[in-house]
Amino acid sequence: MSADANFQPKIVVFACENSGWLAAEHAASLGLSYPERVELIKLPCSGKIDVIYFMKALEKSDGTMIMACQQENCKFLKGNVRAAQRVRQTQNLLKEIGIEEDRVGIFYLAANMGHKFVEIVQNFYDKMRELGPNPGKVIK
Amino acid sequence: MIIAERKPIDEILGFLSKHQKVLVLGCGGCVTVCLAGGEKEVGILGSELAMARSKEGRPLEVVQKTIERQCDFEYLEGIRHIVKDVDAILSLACGIGIQTCAEAFPDKIVWPGVNTKFLGVNLNVGVWAERCQACGQCVLDKTGGICPVARCSKSIFNGPCGGSQNGKCEVDPDTDCAWALIHDRLARLGEVDSLREIMAIKDWSFSRDGGPRKLVREDLELESGK
Ligand code: SF4
Ligand code: SF4
Repeated sequence: MSADANFQPKIVVFACENSGWLAAEHAASLGLSYPERVELIKLPCSGKIDVIYFMKALEKSDGTMIMACQQENCKFLKGNVRAAQRVRQTQNLLKEIGIEEDRVGIFYLAANMGHKFVEIVQNFYDKMRELGPNPGKVIK
Repeated sequence: MIIAERKPIDEILGFLSKHQKVLVLGCGGCVTVCLAGGEKEVGILGSELAMARSKEGRPLEVVQKTIERQCDFEYLEGIRHIVKDVDAILSLACGIGIQTCAEAFPDKIVWPGVNTKFLGVNLNVGVWAERCQACGQCVLDKTGGICPVARCSKSIFNGPCGGSQNGKCEVDPDTDCAWALIHDRLARLGEVDSLREIMAIKDWSFSRDGGPRKLVREDLELESGK
């Protein structure tokens, strides 16, 4: 647990519009809630994610993730495979400068998984709370 | 094109350690195509540097810019107003661009952000291979369009040497023997007999032997010399 018990991480969630984004809408329709400081960004496919988006997100947040369609189930066939590769590339960059690689991740779900969406976000949020503030944050 | 690779981050952070505000300058030419120093790489490295320095508690302001080509003074002229406000420039262009940048801005420190590797080709995503050493006197006419200078590990003419094994080079089993490639290609073209002709020893005076090379084409020169 981070030193500051009141620490509320800021998280940027990139979500594929065919899965993560719809799951977020599903969660909302079920009246499920998740932490406040979570920014959702819609992408046309998880394959649209790029290292540069993760890095720019991490300049102003404590953690970032991509929500992709289930493995073998990308509408554009390989989008989620490419997304996983870019997560690894970003993790390597973070490692190079001594920042925890867990601050970036990929999670898979389907459009009708509102509960799963909230669970993923909450778990990631808790993990960031454990890690504490991103030491590399540029825009505080 | 010219192939380059980003320098290790610790080396770059070392260069920039005494600066507070730097321009990370990309090039829209070769290094964009080989994914070492284009607009996207400038953005990624810019973020990485800013985060690394934030972490150290010594913030670094990173200005990001990518110009058409760094090996042309005209394009560098267009960023003079940006350059004047930074402590130093980290250039992600090839060695030529970095030097042109330093020449254009004599009062500014210019750091190299990439290692310039070779003149080569993109074979696959993430794979590049050397093709030419700019030797100054091209012999591709005699070798079926395959360069013995750059692609034979020993740069020999009239190869292959005794170390050629099943089309591979003895220096590295992952490297094709250039002379096996030359032979096979000329055979395919029905020209293999041309290899009976002994190639003369290479005249290296067209290469680096006489020091740095310079090309002057008087037919193109304007009266002003510019
Ligand atoms: S500066 Fe180098 S990388 Fe950029 S266009 Fe010129 S030769 Fe290519
Ligand atoms: S012979 Fe010389 S100029 Fe021609 S490809 Fe080889 S190194 Fe380049």
